Amino acid sequence: MRVLIIEDEEKTADYLHRGLTEQGYTTDVAREGIEGLHMALESEYAVIILDVMLPGLDGYGVLRALRARKQTPVIMLTARENVDDRIRGLREGADDYLGKPFSFLELVARLQALTRRSGGHEPVQISVADLWIDLISRKAMRGGVRLDLTAKEFSLLSVLARRQGEILSKTSIAEMVWDVNFDSDANVVEVAIKRLRAKLDGPFEQKLLHTIRGMGYVLESRRVD
Amino acid sequence: MSTNSIALRLSGMFALVALLVFMLIGWALYLQVDKGLGLLPEAEVDARYSVLESAVQRYGTPEHWAKINTKLKLLSEEDKRLRFWVVSDNPTYEFGDPDAEIRAFAKGPLGMRDLNLSGHDYPFKVLVSQFPAKDQRPPLRFLTAVDTETFWQTQHSLLVALISLAAVGILLASALGYWVARIGLKPLTELSLEARKLTPPRLSGRLKLSHLPPELDQFVTSFNSTLDRVEQAYSRLESFNADVSHELRSPLTNLIGQTQVALTRGRSAEHYFEVLQSNLEELERLRSIINDMLFLASADQGSKATQLTQASLAQEVAKTLDYLDFIMEDAQVQVEVRGDANAPIETAHLRRALINLLHNAVQHTSPGQLIQVDIRDEGDHVSIGVTNPGAPIAGEHLPKLFERFYRVDASRSNSGANHGLGLAIVKAIALMHGGTVFVRSEDGVNTFGINLPS
Repeated sequence: MRVLIIEDEEKTADYLHRGLTEQGYTTDVAREGIEGLHMALESEYAVIILDVMLPGLDGYGVLRALRARKQTPVIMLTARENVDDRIRGLREGADDYLGKPFSFLELVARLQALTRRSGGHEPVQISVADLWIDLISRKAMRGGVRLDLTAKEFSLLSVLARRQGEILSKTSIAEMVWDVNFDSDANVVEVAIKRLRAKLDGPFEQKLLHTIRGMGYVLESRRVD
Repeated sequence: MSTNSIALRLSGMFALVALLVFMLIGWALYLQVDKGLGLLPEAEVDARYSVLESAVQRYGTPEHWAKINTKLKLLSEEDKRLRFWVVSDNPTYEFGDPDAEIRAFAKGPLGMRDLNLSGHDYPFKVLVSQFPAKDQRPPLRFLTAVDTETFWQTQHSLLVALISLAAVGILLASALGYWVARIGLKPLTELSLEARKLTPPRLSGRLKLSHLPPELDQFVTSFNSTLDRVEQAYSRLESFNADVSHELRSPLTNLIGQTQVALTRGRSAEHYFEVLQSNLEELERLRSIINDMLFLASADQGSKATQLTQASLAQEVAKTLDYLDFIMEDAQVQVEVRGDANAPIETAHLRRALINLLHNAVQHTSPGQLIQVDIRDEGDHVSIGVTNPGAPIAGEHLPKLFERFYRVDASRSNSGANHGLGLAIVKAIALMHGGTVFVRSEDGVNTFGINLPS
């Protein structure tokens, strides 16, 4: 999947390029507005990541010129997070909007949301190693034993299982499980993960729920070396 | 300058008032004098005539008439304004060499009349009287005349004098008015000089009321109360800046320090990994502080909750409790919700405020105790109060608890996720909804709450 990054800040452009490439995207980088617009019009991209503050033609200008010819999904990045900017970006045709400082995981999540094929069917049953989850009957078994989970613990597990192998930040977990989309002082996610982990991994040799320090959590089956 | 100075304006107004007053007085004076002057020539003529009347009537012989002639001549020489003419059929009994013009005039009706003589700018006031024949004397027409020129001139010079007096008066009034206004405005000038000295960081001074005229009292009082607010805002800003620098300083110190230590010599990959993870934690902390401060800043700039929906507050509290469920279980505290009310709220914002309020209560409640949430409809507003049993909070701290980075225990360094903005955010959210916050500490329970307009 090809992604175009239009960003003049060198470090930002570099880490986005490296990070997204490692995530399996084919990425091109443009360092200024006019060049970026040219590339966006000449080639086909799945998503364009567009900074607002650009030399030459700014992000809004690029977006306007692009929208006159193409409907490529656009995620806008800006350091000025105020509501007017947000409304302006979305009105000009941006598909999503991220205020700096944003986390890389958040950007990846938004990218996936934009590129996910619509109409894709959600699985009803998921298995990770010896873990088996039925999303309809809301049951989870591990090694043939039924896990005794509360409703919230099951929601948390299913969120992690649907994205197995994908690192989920605390913020996105809070948003998906509790619909809380802001940082709060309460370390609810940590506590919930601790409880889930006790029931999910406690009695078993192979651990499935892993903490990626500073980033979040991932549910995956890792080979035991 | 688009507006004139007050002194100039006042002096202009004084001039206008003077003009009006002088015009009125002058006009009245002039009318009065004019009326008097108009009567004067007639009175003069009457007076002269009444002296002569009986003599002329009595004397009928040429000898006697000669006496009258002499008398008339004397009178005319004595007062140049006076003229006498006697017209009859007999030249002996005539006086004043009446020419054809006079004769024609004399034939006209008796009584007081105006006579315009060639060579004179102003008319003569003439009393034409008739005497019947006596002895040898034929009937006479006796003309007593006075030249009105001097009267008219008097009137004219009066007018000139009045106008020039008025002009001088107006000039004087405006000049004096300017001077008086300057003196009158002196307190204002002093006030502005005094006010000019009150600039940051010397905001603690206030304008003095004692030596000021009462008209400026109100102005100074409101100016001073504005200063109070500015000073409060300024000192809040100053301490806020200090707090921000402090809060940002510790994660930055960690970041710089541990990165430098890691780079001073070759390390194992695990070590670098370790350092990067720790750095990421510090960076997340910075991001969270900055996001919260941006949120507070936007509330400070008057950002309002716009996406309002009418919602049941008990339901919002229930959703919040659902989120905090695990935390409350860990802390072994129970929550009881009483009452309900509906209010227009922006749900995401209110949720955030409720999470902060409840989390704050959970943190300060001992295991096994009960937190109470009271939702009340107070008519014009609704209130949500979160009450937890806890150590009493000293009165001095109460009003400051909702301030940014305010901590009752100043030495308590808090390096966790809790960076002292939770209650400040609650307050900001209340303000964004046009509401307020409140805090009480009594009878061993502490209540933190929020009032929202209903």
